Amino acid sequence: MSGDLHYERVLHECLRGELRIVNAGLPRSRKTLATLLREEYPLVICSDSSIHIFKRRELEQIATILDTDEQEALLLPIFIELRVDQNEASVICQGEVEEKIISRILNMPVTSEQERITIYRPQLALLRKALKTTTQYVFSLKTVA
Amino acid sequence: MPQQLIKVRPTKIELIKLKRRLSLAQRVQKIVKDRLSILTMEFLQAGRETVEAKRKLVDELSQAYRALSIATGYHGYIVLEKELIATEASVKVTAGLRNIAGVKTPSFELSKNEKSMRGYSLVDTSSCLDHAAQLSEKFLETVIELAELQRNLELLGMEINRTKRITNALEYIIIPSLQATISYLNMKFEERDREEKARLKHVKVLIARR
Repeated sequence: MSGDLHYERVLHECLRGELRIVNAGLPRSRKTLATLLREEYPLVICSDSSIHIFKRRELEQIATILDTDEQEALLLPIFIELRVDQNEASVICQGEVEEKIISRILNMPVTSEQERITIYRPQLALLRKALKTTTQYVFSLKTVA
Repeated sequence: MPQQLIKVRPTKIELIKLKRRLSLAQRVQKIVKDRLSILTMEFLQAGRETVEAKRKLVDELSQAYRALSIATGYHGYIVLEKELIATEASVKVTAGLRNIAGVKTPSFELSKNEKSMRGYSLVDTSSCLDHAAQLSEKFLETVIELAELQRNLELLGMEINRTKRITNALEYIIIPSLQATISYLNMKFEERDREEKARLKHVKVLIARR
């Protein structure tokens, strides 16, 4: 029936649209902290061609935590993943650099499992308060990266 | 409130389609709810920061005015006006966008001015005026911070309203009507099975009588 098709299409569009909206701010490619610190205007280009600008104050704050090698290794923005099948958020981390930053900001030891650091909502608020522009949300139906 | 049933043919294929739609709608609902909770968290955070920034703004403004009054009292209004009339300071603000769970919000940052000179003569003025200028610069930083926070608050509020409407539509209309239709179809199939069984029994009795 045409009504059914229309209904199905609306639902599909709703899901796709929501995913598109929430993930529109994801960068096409991430940059290292060292690169961003060298730039006059530290920014990344997002998937919807908009720009995401980083606050220099935040970059400098992170730089104080890390040494030079770690600054070269850290890719920004840091992704905070929210999955449909999980209630907690998780920080996607490739190395120990992210762990170091998160533990310093939350002032507690954190460990990563399968390249993810699980954080709870109150911790998420703290993390976002400290790193507003250097973290980004990723909404996913299943595990990414 | 009785849920409105979706007009569908009572067939197994339709039931499968409806179940698929229901699972899709539930996934959409989960994403939208997650987003709503994140937006609410960010909104509350922005609200708290706005209150703090406003308080800071009022404090800094009063301090700057007090310092300026002292400087005026020390130098005299005419002298101070003469000194400040040609003063010019360019303010460099870096403006950009950042994305909070799909909401594009502005981001402002006051760039530090490399020039240490403020434009007035240091010989003819005292440290009172320097202090007033310093406090005014601090105040300017807070104004920019507040502008960003206030706009964020507005944008997040609007997005929360929109997302809430979607969540409510899914929670109170789409999902219940799909569930009601699925259970209606299940009941219809059970009823059909029972009818079939009764009919077969009746046929069996008729055959036995012969």
